[in-house]
Formats: sequence, structure tokens, C-alpha cells
Amino acid sequence: MMKQLTINETLCKGCNLCTIICPYRIFQIGTTPNRRGIYIPKLYKPGRCTNCRLQDLYGRQLCGTCALICPDQAISWETVSQYKKPEIMIEY
Amino acid sequence: MKAQVKEDWFRKDRLPHIFCVGCGNGTIINCVVDAVFHLDLDIDKTVFLSGIGCSSRAPGYMASDSLHTTHGRALAFATGVKLGRPEFDVIVYTGDGDLAAIGGNHFIHACRRNIDMTVVCMNNQIYGMTGGQGSPCTPIGKLSTTTPYGAQETPFDLCELAVGAGANYVARWTSYHVKELRNAVITGIETPGLSFIEVLCQCPTSFGNKNKIGEGVEHASYLRKNAMLLQKARRMEEEGKKIPPETFIVGEYVKRSRPVMGGKT
Repeated sequence: MMKQLTINETLCKGCNLCTIICPYRIFQIGTTPNRRGIYIPKLYKPGRCTNCRLQDLYGRQLCGTCALICPDQAISWETVSQYKKPEIMIEY
Repeated sequence: MKAQVKEDWFRKDRLPHIFCVGCGNGTIINCVVDAVFHLDLDIDKTVFLSGIGCSSRAPGYMASDSLHTTHGRALAFATGVKLGRPEFDVIVYTGDGDLAAIGGNHFIHACRRNIDMTVVCMNNQIYGMTGGQGSPCTPIGKLSTTTPYGAQETPFDLCELAVGAGANYVARWTSYHVKELRNAVITGIETPGLSFIEVLCQCPTSFGNKNKIGEGVEHASYLRKNAMLLQKARRMEEEGKKIPPETFIVGEYVKRSRPVMGGKT
């Protein structure tokens, strides 16, 4: 089990406030509009996020300034299972 | 009912909210919700109140009981709620036009009576909802619809006013300083008596564009650049240095324990 940064595309309005507050500069200004014509920020190497890496170890919320500054409550962490190497099926 | 996750405090059917792109009010709602979630308050025993204005749309997105009252009278209604049900936690969202202009007397007397509630003032330095008229907090020289050649009047310093009127906890932060703001709201809810937290927030639509500050990101960077800690400002005053213009003094002004009216027993 580990955490993963997600941006909710139905809530985000594309204000880019998260791009100035992240200490790791994970959020980058988006380049392609989505279905609603809004430029959603891109995630650049989101594995560096402190909260994703260390929340389970410390048992509490770390950093989290992006989720606090987001005016539309669009940034959250969702729990995902660990990455598994896909098994290759060999058909005979 | 206790909230299991932070999203339980929001009415998800009302989101996304109506604030403009880059508006700081959503940030302040987030910080207050994070604070009440951290304190583990009961959703059924928390009341959010507001007057009229951009900031006062905020209680409409809260899952708990909320009151959207007449212009400037949020503190008067909050006094009634607190004295009627002293076991409730009362949090008031209000704006600078709401609190300082038409509700000024209610504010002074709520501070004097020291009623046990938390007042979060979203100060965007303008009347945002009605089209950008100058408010009592518009700084000197800033343009607005009613001050097309620059505001000529000295703006209100709401924190000094609250300290003078007798509030128990007074702090000022900006919408860029989210962690400090969240901790200030936690301290404010925990402190008995009136806790006043003034938050300078960006208004890209009415204030930023008119004054050539820019959109939400530029306005937030402007707030960050021009913020000065209270300790530094006091030290500069002692040394006789002049504080540069357009500086927002941020920090914790006062924390004391004057007699409280309507506190939890």
C-alpha cells in the first residue's frame, strides 16, 4: 500500500497556485487543455512527494501545502497498491 | 457525527464552488476545514455563519449547520447562536466590507464582550461581489471602481482594532501562508473568547487586474513578497527604520485570557 498524488479533473479550474507552493516543484503548468478546456497542471516525477513516500512510516500527514492551497479541493492522495511487475502470459 | 475524512466537511453536491479562478477564498475554506478536522469537532455541534459578500458564500459548502445572514450582521447572529447554545463551536466567515464597513460596530462590541467564537476575516481589500468598489481596507493609492484616481483614505488596521477592543486571540496571515493560517485557526478555536484571524487573500478579478498585479499566481506571489513578520516590524520600529509601503504585517498579535462571555462550562 502506498499513496499517490491525484488531481481531480472535474474540480480543478486551472489556477496554477499549486505550481508556486510545492517545495519539490512537482506541479508544472499544463500544456494541453482537457475536455472542459482547462489546462490542468502536469505532475513531474510525483514519486518525490514527501507525503507519498513517508506518510505510512510516520503515521501522520506530512507537508500537504498543495492540498491546503488548492482553492477547489482538487488535490488529494489516494491509496494504491504497490506496483507489480506484469506477468507475461505465454500462449502455446 | 464525527468526520472520518476531511471531505466529509464539504457538501460534495455543491462543489465545485462559484469563486473565480485563482481566488483565495477557497484556500481559506480549505485551511479552516483542515483545522476543524484536525481538532475532530462534531459536525452536528459546529455552526458556520456569514454575512453578505464573496467570502460569505463559504458556509454554503459546509456539511454542518450554517447561517447566511444579512449584510454585516453575522457577528450579531453568532452572538445569539453562542448564547442560546453555549456547547456549540461557532465559526464566522466574513469579508472586509462585511466586517469593517457595515458591521463595524458589531465587530467592536463582539470583541468587547469577548464572546467565545472564531472570526475568520477574508480581507481581499475590495468589495469583490458587487463589482470592485473601494472598501475600508483598500490601501492608499489603489484603484477600484469608486476610487478611479487611487484611494485617498487611510485603510483600517483590523488587527489593531481587535486588540484595542479586547479580543483574546488576534492574528493576521495571508492566503499564501497556508500552514501558519491553519495553525492559527486551530489556536483560535482552542482559545476561549473571541479569536480574530484576518487573512489577506488575492482577488484577481476585481483587485489584481485593476491594479496591474496580475492573476491568481502573481497576486499570491505579491502577497508572499510583501509580507513582513510582526517581530521584524516591531524591531524596525524600535531601531527607527521606516517600514516600506505596501507591506502587510503578518503574525500573532495577541494571545491573552480576558473574562469570556458565553464560554463552554
